Amino acid sequence: MAKTMGLKYWNEIKPGDVINKITMDVPYEKVILDAAATQDFFPGHHNPEYAKNQGQKTIYLNTMAIEGFIDRIATDWAGPHTFIRMRQMQMKNSIYAGDTMSGEGEVKKCYQDEQGRYLIDVSILISTQDGPRVPATMTLELPTRE
Amino acid sequence: MNKAVKEPFALNYGSYEEAREFLDNRTLKTVAEFTVNWEAIKIYCSLEEDGNASYWDAEYAEQQWGGIVAPPGLLLTWAMSLQWHPSKKRSHHFIAVTVPLPGNTLINVATKTEYERHLFLGDRVHVEDRLIDISREKNTRLGIGHFLTTQAKFTNQKDELIAIQTNQLFRYNAHEE
Repeated sequence: MAKTMGLKYWNEIKPGDVINKITMDVPYEKVILDAAATQDFFPGHHNPEYAKNQGQKTIYLNTMAIEGFIDRIATDWAGPHTFIRMRQMQMKNSIYAGDTMSGEGEVKKCYQDEQGRYLIDVSILISTQDGPRVPATMTLELPTRE
Repeated sequence: MNKAVKEPFALNYGSYEEAREFLDNRTLKTVAEFTVNWEAIKIYCSLEEDGNASYWDAEYAEQQWGGIVAPPGLLLTWAMSLQWHPSKKRSHHFIAVTVPLPGNTLINVATKTEYERHLFLGDRVHVEDRLIDISREKNTRLGIGHFLTTQAKFTNQKDELIAIQTNQLFRYNAHEE
């Protein structure tokens, strides 16, 4: 696996670089897997009747599932040598069972912090077929290449 | 019909003024029931369809990080309480669910996590959560309620900082259709 991965290095990245789009279907099975995988059994994630009483369409992905998808967008693009320093996200709309979600992003800033770490700030937007759902920003730490 | 069916997620009820008395309260430090384990990492990665070699490839992860690491998004999961335990009462490490307010449900709305170091296989997460803000009543698209902001500090068994997470959820009563 390690032999075929694409790796990006800090000094080869610039603001405006595009972070590739990834798309993933979210069937009911995946939302139930989400509850099991994250041990988050809040009923909005597995009980459609409860979710509807909350004002939701049906059961929806939890925060950890969306975090993992955002992280995957960043690390599929930059490679597994990426350390996620910070991730901030706003769940403006839910992602429901039956949706197809996708995410893509852009590099905003490349800099070194006071500890000498090589960092990039990126923005990522998660959408479904119904429009934008979760805007996020991240700070990624990457190695440099001589 | 038993309580778990009638009320799938039990909350504490009270007024905004009562809730304000919880400001700056902290949970006791929760020690995760499970250590960080590869099986749980693989199940989460199958959810995300994430083939990151840091989570799957022991040889690569050893060379890059010193071992298989946990996906950052799994941070909260390690300290989740079991659905049932022979001797322990079920308790959440989220202080927000203990705060008395009028709303009969909740939804997470925003979260920021700053990571200091990786979690490795065998690590055991400790977490302490603190309530830092409660908004006045707000009328939103979903319903009427209050925004609660909390901050959780995650450490490992060596008391080394793993991450700080600042989270905001909305505790509300849904609008009637």
